[in-house]
Amino acid sequence: MIALAEIVPVDRAEHMTATQAAKPLVRLSRVSKSFGAVRALSDVSVDIFAGEVHAILGENGAGKSTLMNIITGVLQPNTGTIEFEGRNVMPLSPESSSQLGIAISYQHPAILPDMTVLENLQVSLPARVFAGGRTDVIARRLLDDIGLHVALNARVETLTIAQKHLLELAKALAVDPKVLILDEPTAALDQDATDMLFQRVRKLKDAGTAVIYITHRLAELRQIADRVTVLRDGRHRGSMLARDITNRELLDLIVGRTLASAFPPKCADAAPQVNFAVRGLSGGKFTDVSFEVGRGQIIGIAGVEGNGQSDLMRALAGLQPSTGEIVMGGKPLAQRTLKDMAAYMPSDRHAEGLAADLTIRENATFAALDRFASAGVLSRRREVEEVRGVFNSLAVKATGLEARVGSLSGGNQQKVVMSRALLSEPAYILADEPTQGVDVGARFEIYRILREVSDAGTPVIVNSSDAAELEGLCDIVIVMSRGRVVETLRGNEITEARIVGAAVEADTQAHHIDEARRRADGFGARLRHFAQTDNATVIPLVVVAAALALFVAGQNENYLSAFNISNILILATALGFIALGQTIALLMGGIDLSVGPLAGFLVVIGSFFINDGNPASTMALGFVLMFGAAIVVGLINGVLIRFANFTPIAATLAMFIGLQGMSFVLRDGPGGYISFGVIDMLTWRVGPVPVAFVVMVALAIAFEVGLRRLRPGWQLRAVGSDEQAARRIGIRTDRTFVLGYVAVSVLTAVGAVMLMAQIGVGDPAQGVNYTLGSITAVVLGGTSLLGGRGTFVGSVLGAVLLTEVLNAVSFMGLSQSYQYGFQGLLILAAALIYTTARHRREA
Amino acid sequence: MADTTPFSFGRRFGLMAVPLAKGFATIVVSTVVLIVLCAIFAPSAVTAGSLMGSLPFASVLAIVGLGQMLVVQQGGFDLSVPGSVSLAVVIATHMPNGNDAALMQAVLVAFGFALAAGVLNGVMVAYFRLNAIVATIGMNALLYSAVFAISGGVPRITTKALAAIAGGQTLGIPHSVIFALAVLIAVSFVLKKTVAGRRFEAIGANPLAARAAGLRVKPYQALAYVVAQLHYCLAGILIAGITREPTAFQGNSLLLPSVAVVVLAGTSLLGGRGFPISVVIAAFFLNQLSQFALSIGVPYSAQTIVQALALVFGIGVYSIDWTRRFKTTKQHSTEEENHENVEV
Repeated sequence: MIALAEIVPVDRAEHMTATQAAKPLVRLSRVSKSFGAVRALSDVSVDIFAGEVHAILGENGAGKSTLMNIITGVLQPNTGTIEFEGRNVMPLSPESSSQLGIAISYQHPAILPDMTVLENLQVSLPARVFAGGRTDVIARRLLDDIGLHVALNARVETLTIAQKHLLELAKALAVDPKVLILDEPTAALDQDATDMLFQRVRKLKDAGTAVIYITHRLAELRQIADRVTVLRDGRHRGSMLARDITNRELLDLIVGRTLASAFPPKCADAAPQVNFAVRGLSGGKFTDVSFEVGRGQIIGIAGVEGNGQSDLMRALAGLQPSTGEIVMGGKPLAQRTLKDMAAYMPSDRHAEGLAADLTIRENATFAALDRFASAGVLSRRREVEEVRGVFNSLAVKATGLEARVGSLSGGNQQKVVMSRALLSEPAYILADEPTQGVDVGARFEIYRILREVSDAGTPVIVNSSDAAELEGLCDIVIVMSRGRVVETLRGNEITEARIVGAAVEADTQAHHIDEARRRADGFGARLRHFAQTDNATVIPLVVVAAALALFVAGQNENYLSAFNISNILILATALGFIALGQTIALLMGGIDLSVGPLAGFLVVIGSFFINDGNPASTMALGFVLMFGAAIVVGLINGVLIRFANFTPIAATLAMFIGLQGMSFVLRDGPGGYISFGVIDMLTWRVGPVPVAFVVMVALAIAFEVGLRRLRPGWQLRAVGSDEQAARRIGIRTDRTFVLGYVAVSVLTAVGAVMLMAQIGVGDPAQGVNYTLGSITAVVLGGTSLLGGRGTFVGSVLGAVLLTEVLNAVSFMGLSQSYQYGFQGLLILAAALIYTTARHRREA
Repeated sequence: MADTTPFSFGRRFGLMAVPLAKGFATIVVSTVVLIVLCAIFAPSAVTAGSLMGSLPFASVLAIVGLGQMLVVQQGGFDLSVPGSVSLAVVIATHMPNGNDAALMQAVLVAFGFALAAGVLNGVMVAYFRLNAIVATIGMNALLYSAVFAISGGVPRITTKALAAIAGGQTLGIPHSVIFALAVLIAVSFVLKKTVAGRRFEAIGANPLAARAAGLRVKPYQALAYVVAQLHYCLAGILIAGITREPTAFQGNSLLLPSVAVVVLAGTSLLGGRGFPISVVIAAFFLNQLSQFALSIGVPYSAQTIVQALALVFGIGVYSIDWTRRFKTTKQHSTEEENHENVEV
């Protein structure tokens, strides 16, 4: 580099450095990052300037996302430094990064599907964004700015993919960032939205924001970028002003790799007989795909990741529905037979390819067990022989057939997946990213095997984001962009440059399934909206409770007497408080089985202190001990679940049994009568209505409001809705979970106080049923078992309804059998109705 | 590097191969240590007489544990153990009401109920995607409803035939032990040696991979609940024979131990491979632990605390594996395909 001073006079040079070539806003110096043995970034230095759009280009796996995660503090570099405004800001965390004014719009939006649009904005953005104005007005403006026209109270789950991306962009733009990172923001957007985004980006740039723009598309780079940096294989290939470089030169920088080794020879026959064809196939994220494979040909599917290729592969494997024709040897295949005929080698080996728990042999054979069995009983000898045979021909290197599959290298793991595909004797093979995470030596063996399979007459279809691999391996390559085939290359046309060129230069529009925009006006619309809220269950619950009351009153008029109503409400109060606690556990996506025994245990504790004849201070101590014990139990539950990797069921089940034992250790039978004064106070009524019940309802309403209006409420639902997204937007998930379980226990303690007033004595056998009762009440109320959505008011109504049912059973002189039966039917019916209703909405 | 060594076939394989090692070694060592401790501090807990008294209960726990293991292998959880064991007890004692001739019929009815409950559980969990806890908690209430409908909560005395079959001894071996060993052999054989069993294990170990390989996942997941119920039913009938006058709540005390033995045997609560032999040894271990605790003076009421601690200990031992499993599942869940994610 030539110093400015050498070509211009010193004073001018200083002037220029101060104004034009200002100091970089962010400077990354010699940053390296490795994941295990894989080097994601080596020695990368980049300067980001204020008031510029800086594009980062590179193929999949070039290290772009890793670099961004380092700037946002999600990942820590192994070596190197990050400077912000000239200051070393290492180490960077997501929180400190956003405090510096760095905002990111993720490629996979960090949004919470169970929360509304407004709540997503509120939980992700700092409070200052909403200061000085009405929240809904400000939120509306944020969305209008980005052209996202959806109702603020719409659940994010119901948005289209494009709308979700716009919401993600709105969040990043809302904070007026100094550095804005956009990770492939246009992948899901149509032309209008893209234009609007570019306008916003230019405006921000003019106002002095540094924009980092990650993209695969050269066309976009030309429209928006001032400066461009190219990464390849984790290395910095060059940074320059965008106007100084041609597309051709950029492509060379992006690709620029020569593959030294030999691929197996391609199909010699120029026009072989077609044995596999796809005609007009449409499905999930792809439209109207057609191609033909001849005997001995390998077909490649190319394109920038996420343009419908993997959906196409899954549809061909029969794992996703599709329309159109798949023809094999002249005959069209039925949808349901695809699964049995295809051998699919998934791209995500760990999630879908291998069962880590099983041995190498078991992994290789679980799709082909029929072949080693007579009358359903396996012959170990035949299995081992076959596996040895295929392992030998694939040159699998392992210490033994019975080793864990996880002990193999990536390449050998992939060969095990391949062995499974071959052993199942498939009609055709689908290899999705067959060499991802595979070392160079094994790669060429995999190519050789695929070629041999193809030569033997089995059609082979390879999806790969590595264009060089497709160039070397395939006889035909189709290039996909936004779900459509934009180019079909054959023979000599198949070059890495043509493949990459076709993929990045394509300007097809995002393919959209028609979005039915709901009209957001009129009573009908409001009713529809209410039916989708978490509180929608309130109406059917009230109707059922009222109908049941009238029915039983018809049988026995005393049922609706003031005494009985008061009785039901008192009983419902203990269950209601515990159900409120259980609601919190379910909102977090967990469950607390220990609430019942905890309530019983706390009553036993109380029965030692809260007796007639004890001074008030002793009684107060009793209450303090009850709540103190509850807090300890909640902490233990939370810590076991979050820090000792217990599942919520395991931790709280152990607690369930442990607490039951503790109760019996403290008292081996009923004893310790509770003070009548205290009982009278707790069950004090105004007319037929117990005050405690009113308090519980008020508390439920307050919680309900807090759940939707206050930050802790949003955080609770956020961690239950999508824990990872919650972490990315800066929520301290572990703390939220532990505090959540403490809250469950404290509410259970309040319930225990009411339970104590009901039973009036310390009985170690009491309380256990409240686990089933509370879960029934919460499920009846409509809280989702998957976390993220729920209703406190519904849980209270569920508790009232359940108590009413149990009371009606005894009122009508039915046996205990009916009590259990109704409770079981209620919980199952409610779970079935709510679960199927939600599934339908998701579909 | 492991890669450079050529593929070798020298290792032995079979039921006792490598994957069994960790859980098997842990539980065997724990059991041996426990027996030694008993011999030193509480010799009365390891006399032939006390073993004859406690082995039948260990056998019942082993059978229930094997059933729970199948459900846990599929990433599920069966909280209907108390209801189904109690129902089998009640049917086996109330229907014959002391009459040996009616015993066979009662046993068939009990298995019929178990089959129905298992099918319902399986369909709700595998096909309607109900949360396993809620489905089985609801089923438990329904089963208890049947228990009260049949018994009214009052115990009845076992028939003589059942007492002889379940409570008797042959060559000094309690029959219940023979039952448990027979179930163990059957479960091990089916799981490890048949096509259906091996598919079942593969589906439990990674349902997504099994689906991608073209296996039909749902029927196997449902089947776990059905076969588990048959186990509970057999256990209930055995209890009815072993105990002279069994209560209507006999199953309650089996729920936590059934989970504990599965965990102690090394099966992850997130699903995966099952270890039938280890489950049976764990049942013996847990039972012996109670005996030991009683002998050294821990009050009977504190028994459940000992069990809870054993469960916590069991999970703790395997928690390193857990961390890894947690991380792999988390890394690969992408938001667009989350709908089918397996709930933990």
